[in-house]
Amino acid sequence: MNKALFYKRALEIIPGGLSWGIIIVLIALSFLHPVSSAIIIISFDFYWIIRTVYLTTLLVMAHHRLFRQRNEDWLTRCQDLSADLGFSQLYQVVIFPVYNEGLEVLRPSLAALSAIRYPKDKLIVVMAFEERNIHAHDNALILEEEFSSRFGAYLSTFHPDGLPGESRTKGANATWSAKAARKFLDKRKIAYEQVVISCFDADTCVDKEYFGCLSYHFLTSEKKHQASYQPMPVYNNNIWQAPSFARLVEISSSFCQMIESMRLEKFVTFSSHSMSFKTLVEIDYWPTNMISDDSVIYWKGYLHYNGDYRVIPLYVTVSLDVAYSSNIWRTMVVQYKQKRRWAWGVENFPFVVKGFMANKNIPLINKIRRSFHLLESHVTWAVWAVILVVIGPLPIFFGGAFFSQMAIAYNLPKITGLLFKFTLYTSLTWIFLSWTILPPRPKGISWLKHVFLILEWIFVPFIILIIGSTPAIDAQTRLMLGRYMEFNPTLKGNKVL
Amino acid sequence: MYTFQKIRSFLFYVSVFLFFAGLPFILTFALGYKFNTHSLKFVKTGLIFVKTQPVGAKIYLNGKLITEKSPASMQELLPGTYKVTLELAQHYPWKADVEVEAGKVSRVDKVILFPMRPNLEQLNQEKFSLFRIDIEKKLIYYLDQDKKVVYRSSLDANNFEDIASLPDKFAQITGWEISPDKRKFFIFNQHQINVIFFDNQGDYEYPVSPVFLEYPQDKINDVFWHSDSYHLVVMTDKNIQVIESRQGALPINLVELNKGGPEAFYDTKEDVLYFSDSQRSIDGSFYNNLYKLELSANLYLLERLITQPFGQGKEAQKEQVGE
Repeated sequence: MNKALFYKRALEIIPGGLSWGIIIVLIALSFLHPVSSAIIIISFDFYWIIRTVYLTTLLVMAHHRLFRQRNEDWLTRCQDLSADLGFSQLYQVVIFPVYNEGLEVLRPSLAALSAIRYPKDKLIVVMAFEERNIHAHDNALILEEEFSSRFGAYLSTFHPDGLPGESRTKGANATWSAKAARKFLDKRKIAYEQVVISCFDADTCVDKEYFGCLSYHFLTSEKKHQASYQPMPVYNNNIWQAPSFARLVEISSSFCQMIESMRLEKFVTFSSHSMSFKTLVEIDYWPTNMISDDSVIYWKGYLHYNGDYRVIPLYVTVSLDVAYSSNIWRTMVVQYKQKRRWAWGVENFPFVVKGFMANKNIPLINKIRRSFHLLESHVTWAVWAVILVVIGPLPIFFGGAFFSQMAIAYNLPKITGLLFKFTLYTSLTWIFLSWTILPPRPKGISWLKHVFLILEWIFVPFIILIIGSTPAIDAQTRLMLGRYMEFNPTLKGNKVL
Repeated sequence: MYTFQKIRSFLFYVSVFLFFAGLPFILTFALGYKFNTHSLKFVKTGLIFVKTQPVGAKIYLNGKLITEKSPASMQELLPGTYKVTLELAQHYPWKADVEVEAGKVSRVDKVILFPMRPNLEQLNQEKFSLFRIDIEKKLIYYLDQDKKVVYRSSLDANNFEDIASLPDKFAQITGWEISPDKRKFFIFNQHQINVIFFDNQGDYEYPVSPVFLEYPQDKINDVFWHSDSYHLVVMTDKNIQVIESRQGALPINLVELNKGGPEAFYDTKEDVLYFSDSQRSIDGSFYNNLYKLELSANLYLLERLITQPFGQGKEAQKEQVGE
């Protein structure tokens, strides 16, 4: 094994090794030294109570910002900007990488895009199909006919299968289409500095104010090319039709993203996002062989600009589909696979650390801090539910007669109970906030659904058990064992699949 | 944005402070330590956990009423002996000295507070001599020797009805038992067994008139129903027999006994008789053996037994199950 491969494998093993190490040690301690195990569990419970309260407060703040900026007239604000900032020369390239999504998914996305409040002549839409998709050309023609006249320019690209050095990932397709857009811009002699590119999931329906908000932040930000711009993803497209399980998971995902938007030092691009086209070209586009292209693109920028790169949150929503299927079991599988793909973002850790080792210009403290944040977030994801739900009760059950007589054995379930009470109180906040971000109730859906939407939160412990930590453990174990995941997009659609 | 980040930073540092400041207190509390404000030292304490049935009892600790009612825990107690009194209105109080050890839980969690006026209810409406309970069918059977009648009711003392008459000439009932099929019962005294059918329970197979079985030479110690509800297993002072519950039936002698009144238990489910009998040792003293006699439904077994002469095969049939 050569040195480079050794470092690569070592870095791939670290997250999974740490997660498994924590789980195994805690389980072993529950049998061998239950008092130590109980002390660790109580410490973790207390940490989790404080963390839950802290994060819920951040969520409330993010929600407040989202609502405060909800009715902002961003387009007018852009038009009011000084002419020097160049709003009138600004172009928007919008890429929709299409894997195998059909017209029922793509049409609403383009319809939402054509309904935005923004000069459409400045909009260059790129529908990025995969050549291997047998319906790609037919769908491209239909969509061109329906939508091409509504935008400044409309391109359909077809990414060839099996290019050297590429995997079957969304990033490879997005990169191919971005290069096509580059040729288009060159042909029109449009400077890259005047172009913002947005890479949207195929089911992304943008808010009417999205591009106004994006342009305003892009034009007014310091070092605007050294930033990515991240909207708030909400899963509202089919939320009224989705089953409880899937709806709750996606609402929680939206909230997590809103919370992250308040932690700028950790904030990383996720799902649909935007950035300077100039920067995209300079950092050589999205990765073509990694699944988590949405976050890797941020790290590429961070490494390229020697740590002087950031993500600017945009408090405007983009709406996506809730992933679900025809029955609860298949929905759980779909959700599990989606979360596992998200958790595969752990592949960023070896990528980032290798990048840090090669880059001598990023301050060491920043390298340590960012590596730690990245590692800590993935390890916590993999172990938190296991510790709270599975390992928490173990000392009581397996501690033996001697342990059961000890004061700590009596106090452990009391403190764990306190944790769940706190979680319940914070859940009330989450329930209320989730209600406020719901889209209007469609016709044909009873008002009783509102009641059900509140009551369904009782399923949260069950959901935590199913997909709290297991997708992350799964992803980290695969990375640890060198069993690399292939891109497997979540089946989505407004209809039940 | 800047303001939000300042608030967030403040919240973050407050959270970190709360965690590191609160954790020592949480852990010391969990481990049973108490901070003594006078000595400014941590003292290891214990706790008493009290749980009663019914719940809601007042708890006195060393004579002092505590605010919580059972179930409750009294924490941060210095090691030593504590007088615990539990009181609930209309119930007998419970008192005990409870030892508290440092870092440990003293559990007082198996306390039943019994009511002063127990839920005592008289079920019978008339006099009776003996009774049997059929939990499965939720029935009570009463036998009244004076009126020579058997009647029954439900478990909650409703639906009384006479179901059989006892024969006039049968004196001094020693015991009785209802058959497994619940259609009849036997009564016995020292020399007689009488099988009586409940009213309207007879069919073509069995007579409805009482069946008398006489044992003039032997003293009957105990009688059991075989699971087929037809055979009786009779233990006399001399032997163990089976006999059909029909008029004129002849007993089959299964085992001859050395001891006059052995202990016995009949497992109706498996049709196994467990009994003790004495045996003389080489030095002339007596000792007991416990035997198991299988009588499972098994007419073939009975047939086999019938073919054997009385009193034979005792050694072969006795199975020693314990020293």
